[in-house]
Amino acid sequence: MKKLFSLMLACIMLLSLCSFAMADGYSGELKIWVAEAVVDFTQQQVEAFKALHPEYADMTVVIQPVGEGDAATNMITDVEAGADLFAFAQDQLSRLVAAGAVEEVEPSNAEVVKAENDPGSVGAVMMGDTMYAYPMTSDNGYFLYYDKSVVTDPSTLEQILADCEAAGKSFYMEINSGWYQTAFFFGAGCELTFDSNDEGQLIGMNASYASEEGVKALKAMIDLHKSPAFVNGSSISNATNIGAIVDGTWDATAAKEVFGDNYATAKLPTVAGFQMGGFGGFKMLGVKPQTDDDKLAACDALAAYLTSEEVQLARYNAVGWGPSNLNAQKNEAVQADEALSALAEQLAFCAPQGQYPNDYWSLATALGDDVIGGKLDDADDAALLEVLKGFEATCEGYLSK
Amino acid sequence: MTDLEYLKLSKPAKMGYKTRKFFAALPKKLVGVCKKLGQGIIHAGAGFIRGCKDTVQTFRTGDWKTKLSFLVMGFGSFARGQWGRGLLFFLFQTVFNIFMFMPNAQFSGCYYLGKLSTLGTVETYKEGRRTVYGDNSFFILLYGVLTLFFIVAFIYTWYVNVKQNRLSEMILKSGHKLKSTKEDVSALMDSQFHKTLLALPTLGVTIFTILPILFMILVAFTNFDATHQPPSKLFTWVGWDNFRQLLSTDTSSYGNTFSQVLLWTLIWAFFATFLNYFLGMLVAIMINKKGIKLKKMWRTILVMTIAIPQFVSLLYVSKMFAADGLINSYLMKWGWISSPLPFWTNPTWARVTVIVINVWIGIPYLMLIATGILMNIPADLYESARIDGANAFQMYKKITLPYMLFVTGPYLLTSFTGNINNFNVIFLLSQGKPLSLELSGNAGYTDLLITWLYKMTVNDTNYKLAAVMGILVFVVTAVINLIVYNMIPSVKNEEDFQ
Repeated sequence: MKKLFSLMLACIMLLSLCSFAMADGYSGELKIWVAEAVVDFTQQQVEAFKALHPEYADMTVVIQPVGEGDAATNMITDVEAGADLFAFAQDQLSRLVAAGAVEEVEPSNAEVVKAENDPGSVGAVMMGDTMYAYPMTSDNGYFLYYDKSVVTDPSTLEQILADCEAAGKSFYMEINSGWYQTAFFFGAGCELTFDSNDEGQLIGMNASYASEEGVKALKAMIDLHKSPAFVNGSSISNATNIGAIVDGTWDATAAKEVFGDNYATAKLPTVAGFQMGGFGGFKMLGVKPQTDDDKLAACDALAAYLTSEEVQLARYNAVGWGPSNLNAQKNEAVQADEALSALAEQLAFCAPQGQYPNDYWSLATALGDDVIGGKLDDADDAALLEVLKGFEATCEGYLSK
Repeated sequence: MTDLEYLKLSKPAKMGYKTRKFFAALPKKLVGVCKKLGQGIIHAGAGFIRGCKDTVQTFRTGDWKTKLSFLVMGFGSFARGQWGRGLLFFLFQTVFNIFMFMPNAQFSGCYYLGKLSTLGTVETYKEGRRTVYGDNSFFILLYGVLTLFFIVAFIYTWYVNVKQNRLSEMILKSGHKLKSTKEDVSALMDSQFHKTLLALPTLGVTIFTILPILFMILVAFTNFDATHQPPSKLFTWVGWDNFRQLLSTDTSSYGNTFSQVLLWTLIWAFFATFLNYFLGMLVAIMINKKGIKLKKMWRTILVMTIAIPQFVSLLYVSKMFAADGLINSYLMKWGWISSPLPFWTNPTWARVTVIVINVWIGIPYLMLIATGILMNIPADLYESARIDGANAFQMYKKITLPYMLFVTGPYLLTSFTGNINNFNVIFLLSQGKPLSLELSGNAGYTDLLITWLYKMTVNDTNYKLAAVMGILVFVVTAVINLIVYNMIPSVKNEEDFQ
């Protein structure tokens, strides 16, 4: 009996020794989801990370291409099979938190993130007072790409449309997307933001769509749709016969190809007398909730590294993604980038994109489709106000009770 | 009404009379079905009671081997020399016991069964920064249902085991010998061959079809959605709430949208089926006509649309009709229109466009089917019609169409059902768009129930409503199928064309 007892004791000691030795470092498998464009880049950075941190040198890192739009859906569908680190666009954060598919940022890392990144991106990764992801880029915004030989003056939408019509070219803007649509509403002075609590639930709404400004914005959208040059869309590589497009930095290369020597960028124009606004958006890196402390530590360390100043700068140099890190933003190359500077100019008129309910996006598409389908062509101001009132009421219905 | 009176009626009146008769007969039919159902239940109940009585009787009159078999399955068979049967019974009982009472509670049937009524109560919590997952409602529901299946299977096997003992005793009493294991095995290859053949399919259908269907039906009664997502969050039973949300017409519910989508689904299925059918037949008749040259070439050209995968052709066609697509660009270039035609943006335009494009895909199939059947219609029918002075349309109406309908009736029915669930065409062409503020739940004007269901599961992870929708799609197709099946001539007048 004594023998057995001592044997057991020895075993327990051995086990605890093992776990103690393991606590520093992690040698299991770790899965990362990033957009296809940065898979190779991420691979190189992971190698650099391993070289810097020998305790993680034995870790097997698998990098899979999953788009920032799909990552959240895939995570929510099956958390257990999901990636340990995943890049996503900020509009997905509230869904992820609500489904319990993203882990809080490690407190000491959170302090660093707050100090080193621009305030918009820090606001975007917070739910209530809790930080849930590492900001990675601060370039998810849109501005105007145009053809110099077609558009004479990019400062008013009316002029752009007239130029495009005269040249028989098209003006592209995806007004049935909740993201691009805000250029009109926020520009006219409306507000639509949601308050979230720490559990990822949306508990309050500040909205002024159903107002004089809202009607003005909606009318500007309707006028845009009535122009024969207008095409609903935001992908320059799918566009044909293009004169100008409202698009983001991710299409900069494609835009240069399409416009050639006539490539030009500008902030968004004014329309009906007001400057178009919009969202300043961000890409971020999330960590999956882990059942293993060591693995979680590895995830935190790697996520912090992949969103650090050096790597953000390296990412800009490799694929042209604009950094959210304040020091990286001051870099000369970043400052000299045409697309990024147009974006920076536009961002002055934009609100940092906060948290929105998932249903908001389809509701905004519905509103845009009604405009494009010509349902509101003949509506008077009172009728438009009714439409916006309905929009607000539906938004309010999305709040958690 | 007598036959004579009926024949005197005008055409519309005849139709009206038939329709009235059909609906008048409906309640009677329904009562008939209910009666049959009731009888079935009574029959099954009686069988169950008989089984129970027999079992008790067996226990009372049986010898000790039989009595012990009540506890240890297969003991009787074993003791009477049928070791093969005995072994199987015993194995089944052992597996069942292990499954139900496994020491590792996480995997035992009892664990899942006990949690089935709540679908889990232990929430996920944090230990420091480490996540400790609580109950997984998804697995509890899935394995709970599996356990119920297993228990039913066990009770049935136990009953068979008892029955075996009774039969064996009777056979032995009458002085005959029991079958040896060798004889049992050879019987499975001979007189009992159907059991050998059907064992695997039955098991497969149960596990891969019946179990998932039952699981999905049960999900319709839970709040399994984006905010109740295992393993981090629990979900639980909510009764009929989801049905209420989908069907009631409050502002926050989907009732209005559901009825709109359902109506469009039926309209779509009607046009997609019958427009294709008649146009396909027309094309086949035209190509079949004497005097048409290059018949094979025309057919080949039409069949080309089948040869190209729909994923490719439909996505391409969808792009072609876009505001900046080929068709609009050229029409504008030629100066026929000043602004793009709203093929995909205006609800009515979009609906007509998908129907028309579907005609383009559907005609070749129908043409192939119709060509074969048209060649089979006896030429003497047409000849005598011509002698009687019938014109082409009369011949079509009196000879071609009835013949076609008779042969292709069942095909029409299945294609109508298929079109109700025609996911590919709609999703590749329009993704259900355009959306509208007048519709809720992310549904668009060209959405069928099935594409709406897809959006709910994939985009919104709203599994609870998707499950309800799945049930309703089944109800709709089942009702239509049953009614139409009983009306088509192929079922009603089997002798007509023999």
